[in-house]
Amino acid sequence: MAREECKALLDALNKTTACYHHLVLTVGGSADSQNLREELQKTRHKAQELAVAIRAPLTAALRDRSLAAEERAEFERLWVSFSGCLDLLEADMRRALALGTAFPLHTPRRPLVRTGVAGDSAGVAARALSARSLRHEAGGDFDVADLSVLEREILQVSEMIHDMEMKVNVPRWTVQARQTAGAELLSSASAGSMGGASVQERTRPCDVSKALAATVFSAVLLAAVALAISVAKLS
Amino acid sequence: MERVVVSMQDPDQGVKMRSQRLLFTVIPHTVAGSNVVEWLIQKYCISEEEALHLGTLLVRHGYLYPLCDPHNLVLRPDDTPYRFQTPYFWTSTLWPAAELDYAIYLAKKNIRKQGALVGHEKEHYGQLHRMISHAWDLVLMQAREQLRAAKQRRKGDRLVIACQEQTYWLVNRPPPGVPSVLEWGPERSSCSAGPAQMTKNPDFYKQEMERCRKALARARVKSSVCLEAYLKFTSQRGPHDPIMSGCLPSNPWVTGDDTYWTMNAPSVAVPTRLRVQRWGFSFQELLEDPVGRSHFMDFLGTEFSGEKPAALLEAPRGGRGQDQDEVRQGGCSGESCLHQASPLDPSKLLPAILTHTGRVRLGTSLTILLEEWASTEAEGHQRP
Repeated sequence: MAREECKALLDALNKTTACYHHLVLTVGGSADSQNLREELQKTRHKAQELAVAIRAPLTAALRDRSLAAEERAEFERLWVSFSGCLDLLEADMRRALALGTAFPLHTPRRPLVRTGVAGDSAGVAARALSARSLRHEAGGDFDVADLSVLEREILQVSEMIHDMEMKVNVPRWTVQARQTAGAELLSSASAGSMGGASVQERTRPCDVSKALAATVFSAVLLAAVALAISVAKLS
Repeated sequence: MERVVVSMQDPDQGVKMRSQRLLFTVIPHTVAGSNVVEWLIQKYCISEEEALHLGTLLVRHGYLYPLCDPHNLVLRPDDTPYRFQTPYFWTSTLWPAAELDYAIYLAKKNIRKQGALVGHEKEHYGQLHRMISHAWDLVLMQAREQLRAAKQRRKGDRLVIACQEQTYWLVNRPPPGVPSVLEWGPERSSCSAGPAQMTKNPDFYKQEMERCRKALARARVKSSVCLEAYLKFTSQRGPHDPIMSGCLPSNPWVTGDDTYWTMNAPSVAVPTRLRVQRWGFSFQELLEDPVGRSHFMDFLGTEFSGEKPAALLEAPRGGRGQDQDEVRQGGCSGESCLHQASPLDPSKLLPAILTHTGRVRLGTSLTILLEEWASTEAEGHQRP
């Protein structure tokens, strides 16, 4: 059914946009590299493909006047999410262009900002592309060549957005979202436990020395108790 | 500020960095507050106080963030660790911090903390939900996906990125009570308190009404008329302006010869031709020039008796703003024609003088100029 397809594609686009956002965050920082720029390019290509794939059926459905009221409402909801996603993607692409131009990878005059992010972002990109792993094949000058491609793609995406606005008229204020405030708490039991650990980690970095001292003390205490019990048993 | 931060990153001449050791992870690129202050002092040759202030500005604008107490954005010149913010979140880019992004951030925080948001954040969350409720599906979808994407990174990176985002939103949406560095400096907040202190009582509104009424009743002149008068002024005065038409014999500032000044001294025996021409422009010019004034007094003295013209002369100098009654009282009450002409109206005064006396025994140039002037003044007064 068209609606399920659109929903699935929209979920994929959402995932790709989120991963792209995550990758753009690290441009210019210590994790920036040719690999990162290549991952950015692959992610945004995938996002654009998905956007083009969703646009046609969604536009067709919304221009179809013979649609029932709830179906139409459902499609309008999808439409609002889709255009919001595209706006986020376009904004991130523009920022990536600005940052990529400001922090070219091979000039020693402008070193990258040492932000403390040192790891690999291949996992994020693989998630975006729904692939198991990623192969990096970029040459040395990839980032410079990529910037002009990125500029053209930004123009394409803004044209697409404009086109969509012209073709379909969906007043956003009439759309009722399916999920309400706080809905994220209901389905986040698994995410919560992971998050709890990271929150606690963040509040404890400065008490490392105290924590170490505490563990050493408790170990010594346990050893002393064990010795006392064994001495008591022997005697 | 971003240039300062980038120069701090220089591997040879930048700030010394250490690694932060957590329980199970090691995160590099930590810098101590004292190192930052030392580097600033050494690089820019400034005092310690200034370096501390500059460093605090960097922290408050979000280029550096403290690791131990992230909500307290100050630079301490001791061992407190700081880290640099990623360029995506720099304030110099002036990228607007959109409400949608803030909503996504709050939703992520809500998920991570299981609903335990701080007071003002809860308020903002409710507000945002009211404002952009139509996009709430997107907000929650993006929040969940961004959290899942972050899980693909190792723990240290995840922590750092979370801290970076937290600092960004602390700078862009400060908690209540903290002045926002991006818009209002400390002086500006006191300025905005000024108008608010003026109590909006009936007197204030009465004053406003009076002011508006006066503004409405103000006489307006058409720009065409203004511009014509302006053009006439500039064409008339053009030859007299030393910058536009040069000054003879020579510009004293350029040649060092002060003949020009001696020739145009306030009281000189023989006035220059240009000066006499200027007397013809308006009555005010004649009276303000001491030589012209003395000539005119002599002329009046020869035609009329001494005191009345003097008193008459004082009256017009009162200016046009004065009340008619005051000036008339100060004016003379003698000669018939002079009495009929209002003292404030030199255009009627001078023709009266000229016709009454008939023959005028003055220097010819002065007479001609006075006649000319009188006719132009009459014209000017007839215009609306």
